[in-house]
Amino acid sequence: MSKMRKYLALTRAGIIEELGFRLATIVMIFGNIIYLTVIYFLWRSIFASSPTPVVNGMTFESTLIYLVLATAIFNFMEMYTVWEMGRNVQSGKIVLDLVRPMEYRSYLFWSYTGPTIMQFLTTFIPTFIIVECVTKAIPLGINLLYFIISIILAVMINYSIDFMVGTICLYSESIWGINIMKQVIVLLFSGATIPLAFFPEGLAKVASVLPFKAVYDGPLSILLMNSPEICDVLPILELQAFWAVMLYLLSVGFWKISLRQITVNGG
Amino acid sequence: MENSIVLKNITKEFKVLNRHEGLKGSIRDLFSRDYKTVTAVDNVSLEIKKGEIVGYLGPNGAGKSTTIKIMTGILKPTSGEIMVNGKTPWEDRTSNCEKIGVVFGQRSQLWWSLPLVESFKLLKDIYMIEDKNYNDMLDFYASIVDLEPLLHKPVRQMSLGQRTLSDILASFLHSPEVVFLDEPTIGLDVAMKSNIRDLIAAINEQKNTTVILTTHDMGDVDALCKRIVIIDKGKMLYDNDMEHLKKVFGSYRTLSLRIRSSQMTDDFITSLEERFSPYGISISTENNWVSLVINEDRIKVMDVLSGVQENGSIKDMKLEEISTEEVIKRIYTEGI
Ligand SMILES: Nc1ncnc2c1ncn2[C@@H]1O[C@H](COP(=O)(O)OP(=O)(O)OP(=O)(O)O)[C@@H](O)[C@H]1O
Ligand SMILES: [Mg+2]
Repeated sequence: MSKMRKYLALTRAGIIEELGFRLATIVMIFGNIIYLTVIYFLWRSIFASSPTPVVNGMTFESTLIYLVLATAIFNFMEMYTVWEMGRNVQSGKIVLDLVRPMEYRSYLFWSYTGPTIMQFLTTFIPTFIIVECVTKAIPLGINLLYFIISIILAVMINYSIDFMVGTICLYSESIWGINIMKQVIVLLFSGATIPLAFFPEGLAKVASVLPFKAVYDGPLSILLMNSPEICDVLPILELQAFWAVMLYLLSVGFWKISLRQITVNGG
Repeated sequence: MENSIVLKNITKEFKVLNRHEGLKGSIRDLFSRDYKTVTAVDNVSLEIKKGEIVGYLGPNGAGKSTTIKIMTGILKPTSGEIMVNGKTPWEDRTSNCEKIGVVFGQRSQLWWSLPLVESFKLLKDIYMIEDKNYNDMLDFYASIVDLEPLLHKPVRQMSLGQRTLSDILASFLHSPEVVFLDEPTIGLDVAMKSNIRDLIAAINEQKNTTVILTTHDMGDVDALCKRIVIIDKGKMLYDNDMEHLKKVFGSYRTLSLRIRSSQMTDDFITSLEERFSPYGISISTENNWVSLVINEDRIKVMDVLSGVQENGSIKDMKLEEISTEEVIKRIYTEGI
């Protein structure tokens, strides 16, 4: 219990810190509007060039809703962990994080929970409300509860991926390249930029065995389900739970080995 | 009295890649196994008692920060044994960290955009400090430094001095057994330095905290340390009382003279060297300044002055106590 308190203290500090960055939030909302406008015209032309209004089982409207919500999820999911770890390793600031009486992985994770929650409230929720008001396409029922569970799992999976990629920064100096590569791969294979339904068969196969779709496609499909039965969502949640555990173990292990590397050889 | 820190034959080697120049070299480095070994700490043994303030000195690159990182458990020594508060820090890093405090002068451990008091509250939870101890500590701090104006200021709005002071307060907040201060007074003005020295002395006195202090400022050492340890190139050169060092080097002065530029020739310097080396004086030059380190037991400053004046005209002069760097250089070249 008292152990939990030290983690929640990090969440609290993160929220207070986040409240100080109003400008950053405004800039981000502005950037999103531009991004979403581009998406809108892009997909409109894709659908306009198609002979039928339904492409790969999705209408223009459902595609757009899917992508808008994916962007909203991206906004609170992307915490630039890789970037921060890389910078801390290079500047040596990581030394100060390592003298905390906590495991570094948990320390960093809980430091991010504050901003994540704040971003969720300030970008995801408003987007959600706007989409719902305009389209009335998101069912408001039990799916929301499943969505919450699913999104928490997604945050955990995403953090493990980020933490693992961030750990690579202990070995390499090209943080920027690593970060971009990670982002491109995650955003593509998770269905955040192009809905997975549009993937050609080969690529879809690859995406289905990778953990990334558990980050975006999983929670989004649940969100858009109309009063789902438990048996509808269970396969998705099970897959997410599987990846959450697997990647947790992998990222912890990889970090342990790598930390030994720096403590033995110097970073 | 019990030992806070024990080091037995601690050695730390780093393996560094021999880097090659240019793009081709960088690509070659990717696959290179061409390592060289740097010995940052070389067979150092130390025993530090609870409540001591030890000055840990040495020139740049001597291995001071590396030793501190070993003592905090961040680095694992290549060989040797180490105990801090009865535990091996690298084996037990997180629990060791509960009982130590650390300040690395160049960077802050505080939360950049939070007011100081929020950082303190966070540390209170992280280190699980009891309410009573926490409040007592804040009262204690307030009795030594002017705490109130700092508490509500975000760290990023603080001056370097205020930030360093805050960092030091933060490092003692959880009443650690040992605090490591790595160049805590770097870049501070005289008033802030003396403030910080008073603070460290007061906390050490009140809480009996062991303090390991790394600094290039002899003033810090004079104000705080009864004992100093000097290392250079990873090897321990000296471990003794300040008193002892003062006795040995108390009679040393550095005399700096500005010579008319037309007379600053190599011949002039050689003639000085020939004249004064029998008295153990070492000479260095920078621009038009000549610095002579004089042992007053062997020759009087006045005699040196008049000796120099015979061959050159002096435009300006300074007489200083011997500096840390000088002492260390002496110890290194002459032993003690
Ligand atoms: N991570 C590392 N990898 C390789 N070499 C290192 C590493 N850290 C330190 N060294 C080397 O070890 C030696 C000692 O460094 P250290 O930082 O301990 O010196 P220092 O006494 O703290 O010096 P300063 O007074 O400049 O802070 C230096 O030669 C340094 O280059
Ligand atoms: Mg150092």
